[in-house]
Amino acid sequence: MYTTSAWRQQTPRDWEHYVNKQVRVTAHGQQQHRGWLHTVDPVTASVVLVQLGESAGGCSVSVVMGHAVEQVEVVGEADEETAMRLSSLFRSEELEARGGE
Amino acid sequence: TSISASSKPGADPASLQTEQRARSMMRERFLRCLISMANKKIQFHMYEKVKVDATFGASDIDVLNFQVSDLQTPIGVQTEALIRCQDVISYSFDM
Repeated sequence: MYTTSAWRQQTPRDWEHYVNKQVRVTAHGQQQHRGWLHTVDPVTASVVLVQLGESAGGCSVSVVMGHAVEQVEVVGEADEETAMRLSSLFRSEELEARGGE
Repeated sequence: TSISASSKPGADPASLQTEQRARSMMRERFLRCLISMANKKIQFHMYEKVKVDATFGASDIDVLNFQVSDLQTPIGVQTEALIRCQDVISYSFDM
């Protein structure tokens, strides 16, 4: 578990530790977000969370702005398949959009 | 917003390199996520329990503003709008 009002002051290596972990993020106003942590923007400290669907395709994404992050807790680890899905998430889309070059 | 300085000056080059690698990997993932939001319906959760929907257009590089279309506000639809990122707590969308 990790508690801080200084989430934005962490170093990229601290944030990297959370990549591909299942986390619970508490944002301003006790809003809770749960999902796989895809990345943390090193500029704004915003957290990108992914809720993976059953099928290979569908998923929903929530992004908590860095300035509103109050707490980040790790609740699970990704297996290999989940980690693969997370890494390829926004890449395939982009390739399709550009005609699969 | 400013990019936080890398570890203290004089840190050994090897750890600086690891840090830069982590930074670029995470920034790339974030930017790809932003690209994939273009033309998608996004729900914004803002302060004072305001929730609004809009079609995402673009963000500036510092992520200070979002340009959106068809912003559905409680008092009507705004065809084009800029949302200040400071006013946003979180946003979500489906892929």
